[in-house]
Amino acid sequence: MSARKSPRQQQLEAALLYPVDWLDERTGLLGGLRYFLFRNVPRDTNWMQTLGAATLTAFLVQAITGVFLAMFYKPDPNSAYESIQHITNDVTFGWLVRGMHRWGASCFIILMFLHMGRVFLFGAYKYPRELTWIVGVLLLALGMIEGFTGYLLPWDETAYWATVVGINIQASGPFVGPFIGSILKGGAEIGPETLARFYSLHMLAIPGALIGLIGVHLYLVVRLGITSPPWSPVAAGRERDDEEAPPTGRVGLVSPAPRGSASQGVDE
Amino acid sequence: MSSLEKNRADHKRYKEDVKKEGKPFFPYALFHDSLMQLVVVGVIIALSVIWKFTAQHEGGGTHPGLLGPLYTEKADPGTVSFVPRPDWYFYFLFYLLRIFKWPDSVILGTVGIPTLLLVIAIALPFVDRRRERHPLRRPVAMITAVLVIVAMGTLTWKGAVAKEPIASEAGALVPMWAQKQGFKGNADAEAGAKLFSQSGCLNCHVYTGAGGQNLGAPELTAEGAKGRGIDWQIKHLQCPSCVNAGSPMPSFKTLGADNLKKLATFLEASKGPK
Ligand code: HEC
Ligand code: HEM
Repeated sequence: MSARKSPRQQQLEAALLYPVDWLDERTGLLGGLRYFLFRNVPRDTNWMQTLGAATLTAFLVQAITGVFLAMFYKPDPNSAYESIQHITNDVTFGWLVRGMHRWGASCFIILMFLHMGRVFLFGAYKYPRELTWIVGVLLLALGMIEGFTGYLLPWDETAYWATVVGINIQASGPFVGPFIGSILKGGAEIGPETLARFYSLHMLAIPGALIGLIGVHLYLVVRLGITSPPWSPVAAGRERDDEEAPPTGRVGLVSPAPRGSASQGVDE
Repeated sequence: MSSLEKNRADHKRYKEDVKKEGKPFFPYALFHDSLMQLVVVGVIIALSVIWKFTAQHEGGGTHPGLLGPLYTEKADPGTVSFVPRPDWYFYFLFYLLRIFKWPDSVILGTVGIPTLLLVIAIALPFVDRRRERHPLRRPVAMITAVLVIVAMGTLTWKGAVAKEPIASEAGALVPMWAQKQGFKGNADAEAGAKLFSQSGCLNCHVYTGAGGQNLGAPELTAEGAKGRGIDWQIKHLQCPSCVNAGSPMPSFKTLGADNLKKLATFLEASKGPK
């Protein structure tokens, strides 16, 4: 018994929707978005399964604060340190942006590890989500390299010497080690070339790769669906005995559901 | 049924269940996700505020607050004192390097273990192919995970509390070194010892019981007994990896020829306790 819309309302609605329709007619994006938002996920998802979204948030914080830092940061040894001081002490809310970038980096790494732990606990790396896991591992490695390259940029003592030793360790590797070491350094000593290289890696190459891989990761997550907690009595994909009614009541990690109801069963 | 067929059947059933019994992502799952996202941003802002406002007062940004200084002194390649310490999430590797000895096994720590960890992580889904997902029915996986967490946690903790010798404290040891090694009165060697105590050498090397073992650096108490010669020592200090291929020791060229000569004299005068 919905109230009928007046012609005026209808007109207004059409006018508002027009740009959306225009866009959708040409891109088909709306269908994708609708699918993304209204697709079903298992009904028993758990708070631990928000850790992926949390990781994504930390990454976005890095991306956004990074853009603002890049407006004030000067990647050359004579002014890098001063520009960091300037950002921290003079620029309006510069300290907040730099602080968020700095602490966001640690949060990003911690959250990646926690998310990985939850995936491991759920056995969610198994068929058919192997590739999601592998992309995740690459994200973790790239995330840590991103941290390493960013660490040099303030050009203070901590930054400088950690990098000297870090690069030397790289260069001590077999086969490609010395090669990578000299590429990173860009010269005989750590200096302007090194800083320029780290800067470009830190704000172009690695973030670009991260964004691409996060895209693949999320595509796979949506395509394959996220797992139910394996101890859930109503887990999606649970094995049924012939006429089993779904058990009721809360079943936790330490009081497992009866065999066969929650797990996917043991091989053989 | 082969296990691949079982896997496929499982996933098919999963898809059907989600379709039939699932909840729409919006608004249910998205609501939880958004709350979590707010928490993350809140925590990051809170950390920044604590960092800034506890470090602020008293003498500029190098004064550490609850969460460390805003920045340390400006980098100076010719500096005489430094701590080669990475960001915290590399501590476990950093500390691991104290366990390995140059030159035999250091490469295990610098390249071997990180590569191994990466390979294991990537291979995991292909090694653990059982269909079972319940943690309590995957004892091997769970115990391994706990061991890895404990090991990495311990190494990170040890790395965090590991103390590098402070230059001023190490400087006080110089007269004792001169006495023990018998180079008292040799002005160059004594000056070299002083430089040695101040230039961060002890961050990696052990010398008569003082100093930390980082990156598998050898003990130098009896370096002079190796018969390297002063010229060799100078060359090594100028470019360690030119002389000992793959050396992670930094170059000390910036100390200048004069200082390097003193350091080399000191090293050659260190014959070890008789
Ligand atoms: C970042 C860690 C680090 C620092 C700092 C460091 N070293 Fe080393 N050093 C090493 C490592 C690793 C080796 C083994 C590889 C090599 O021989 O180059 C080494 C080797 C040596 C050797 C032995 C060479 C040989 O084969 O006989 C001498 C002598 C030496 N260092 C002197 C010094 C002096 C002097 C300083 C300070 C000015 C210093 N080191 C600072 C890591 C370090
Ligand atoms: C930039 C870092 C990462 C981002 C932004 C990210 C994001 C996400 C998101 C949003 C999900 C949806 C489910 C959830 O939130 O738990 C997810 C699932 C998943 N992630 Fe990640 N992730 C990252 C890193 C990793 C890492 C390091 C791993 C493991 C090595 C990993 C492995 C997986 C797997 C296997 C799934 C599927 C889980 C399931 O279906 O239950 N991800 N990821």
